[in-house]
Amino acid sequence: MYSQKIIVENEEGLHARPAAKFVQTGSKFQSGITILKGQKKANAKSILQVMSLSITKGTEIIVCAEGPDEEQAVLTLIDLIKGNFN
Amino acid sequence: MVGLVIVSHCIEIAQGIRKLASQMTPEPVPIAIAAGTNDGRLGTNAEQVTRAINEVYSSEGVIILFDLGSALMSTELAVECLPEEQQKNVVILDAAIVEGAITAVVEISLNKNLKEIKDVLKDLSINKMN
Repeated sequence: MYSQKIIVENEEGLHARPAAKFVQTGSKFQSGITILKGQKKANAKSILQVMSLSITKGTEIIVCAEGPDEEQAVLTLIDLIKGNFN
Repeated sequence: MVGLVIVSHCIEIAQGIRKLASQMTPEPVPIAIAAGTNDGRLGTNAEQVTRAINEVYSSEGVIILFDLGSALMSTELAVECLPEEQQKNVVILDAAIVEGAITAVVEISLNKNLKEIKDVLKDLSINKMN
């Protein structure tokens, strides 16, 4: 398992289009990917679960993956968040 | 790309769902709506559903989501009127309509096939077809 912590700095947080972009990017990997926010967790490949976490600007999350491409998956998603989903 | 049809009794609901769902992805996903009666009242009719299906139809298939009650009857009638080779590519699902539309659009944008999308939407079923 590979995981990394990050604070979401995007104005919109992880909602609507950024959330969809996140799910689209995560879905390209074989590994199972989870987002953790405090005690709550979501399957990073499910748009509804990701949006249900209500990740707003300034929220700390952990992106965690398990599978053959776990490290690449986490690093790619962290880069996406750092780059404000562009 | 799989197409999506939203069937609602109310045109504003259908337009609103299309607006919300289509802002999820930068690249456009084919979404058509069928809502209200021909004379602008609340209701659904099969003719409009047929038109909406044709608007987004391809051999990759079409997913139809509906709101309540008789919307299902209009939708079933519309599907029955399609040529047989098209019918097998059109599925009606009883997912919660807003959540279902948003999920469907994201899955469609990932170029998932009809069966894969159907499996994901199964979790959002609220048993409207029983």
